[in-house]
Amino acid sequence: MIFAAGIFCLPFFIKSPYYLSILVFIGIYSITTLGLNLLMGYAGQISLGHGAFFGIGAYTSGILTVHYHLPISVAFIVALIITAGIAYLIGVPSLKLKGHYLAMATLAFGEIVNIVLNAAIDLTGGPSGFGEIPRIKLLGVVLDSEQKYFYFVWLVFIIFFILTSNLIHSRVGRALRSIHGSELAAAAMGVNVAQLKVQVFMLSALVASVSGSLYVHFVTFISPTTCNIMFSILLVMMVVVGGMANVWGCVLGAALLTVLPEYLRVFEDYDIIVYGFILLFIVMFLPGGLTQGVQILLHRLRRTANRATDT
Amino acid sequence: MSDIILESLNIRKGFGGVVALDNLTFLIERHSITAIIGPNGAGKTTLLNVISGVYAPDRGSIFLNKKLISGLKPFEITACGLARTFQNAQIFGNMTVLENVMVGCHTRTRAGIASAALRLPLMRREEPITYQKARQYLDMVGLSDVAHRSTASIPIGSQRLLEIARALATEPAIVMLDEPAAGLNTQETRQLGGLIRAIRDMGITVVIVEHDMELVMDISDEIIVLNYGKRIAEGKPVEIQANQEVIDVYLGKEE
Repeated sequence: MIFAAGIFCLPFFIKSPYYLSILVFIGIYSITTLGLNLLMGYAGQISLGHGAFFGIGAYTSGILTVHYHLPISVAFIVALIITAGIAYLIGVPSLKLKGHYLAMATLAFGEIVNIVLNAAIDLTGGPSGFGEIPRIKLLGVVLDSEQKYFYFVWLVFIIFFILTSNLIHSRVGRALRSIHGSELAAAAMGVNVAQLKVQVFMLSALVASVSGSLYVHFVTFISPTTCNIMFSILLVMMVVVGGMANVWGCVLGAALLTVLPEYLRVFEDYDIIVYGFILLFIVMFLPGGLTQGVQILLHRLRRTANRATDT
Repeated sequence: MSDIILESLNIRKGFGGVVALDNLTFLIERHSITAIIGPNGAGKTTLLNVISGVYAPDRGSIFLNKKLISGLKPFEITACGLARTFQNAQIFGNMTVLENVMVGCHTRTRAGIASAALRLPLMRREEPITYQKARQYLDMVGLSDVAHRSTASIPIGSQRLLEIARALATEPAIVMLDEPAAGLNTQETRQLGGLIRAIRDMGITVVIVEHDMELVMDISDEIIVLNYGKRIAEGKPVEIQANQEVIDVYLGKEE
């Protein structure tokens, strides 16, 4: 609640369209990361192909509204259906694999989607992409400014955040975490491991697709580089850096990895090296991610506060 | 005619050239405590894995309450009323002690993704019941004090008890314990014996694979002795203690 209020107050202080658009991107990526975290952090299954689901959502929304002049809501629903279908077809065979093999399979899937997006020039515009994608119109208001889109995206985020939190603290959430803990024991407890893995894979793919659609109607332009392998890896980094199996970690991870490259521009040509070192340090010294860092910090603050009142 | 809960007929299971279970046939009586013993490599754990569906038998069939369960998946067999623990405690280290037991309630509850995410009435009705039941089973094994601790932080003895509580939470008709006394001290083992009796007195049939002979002789109604995947003896503890073949297998033949 405090977080929601805080977020919605931000535009009163931040007027610059540049900063607002960064906040919009943080919101969009936070949504993607929420879904991926269900799969990775909770169920313990890796996917290096979620950028592709983001892309499928983005491209379907874009193509259907630009080339076929369908309403955005219809395009959005079609995108969800297509994503669910592809996620099912990919998930059923690949989730039988574990660890590195699953990583390789999903990586290959992401690469295939990217090749298709580059090659199907008639539909996708090929490597140069296509633009003039319409903006979302909500209750008669066209979301054409950064500020309007900011409210919209973060509202969607909060809805997803609540749904995800509910899911985690439930029978399904416990079953997901039990798969991470021990598949053998999870099955012995009556959890249909294979089915649940596919379900959570599809769920996280759908969330990625939603965020892809949100992205495309904000930027109004899409090209294959938006959803390539590097983007898939970036999403995984957001989950890991933020903190696995923690819903707050999604926001922290998405925020850091979106903001960091912007600030590192002062290092000019060396920015990627500094970026790499910062990520390396976080993963090495805070294996629980930024949320672990925040927890340690709060703990220390409380201790010093207690000591101050004692003396 | 006594009441049979679990029936194994001509079970065979091989791994490559090794025959782990060789034409094994046995019956387990309802409301009994049956121990399966035998030297290392006798096929005891393989037998539990075949019964619980982790491995499919090469041949033979297993009936639980007259229902064919061999060939079903582990989660389906659990739903039929068979629960188990593992030799190397398979606890969910990423969850609290209480949550571990709540996972055990999975098969007796129904709330799916939609009702969980939207907090529909089904989920809101089930959650408190699941919580209550889990507390009750933790109470029974004496782990209420550590209910909200991380599972990774409790000692191995407690982890074994937790596994039993989690198995009971599936509300089984029969529970199979794989070496529950491994890593426990004498006092803990004695308490475990009391707990196993209490489980039987709840109306649950107990099958136990165990190396601690004192415990086995103390609590078992019936003992099955395996060697190289074959049943070499079966009977009451006193009969087994007097059985020359069993003594030979355990102590080596006298020259």
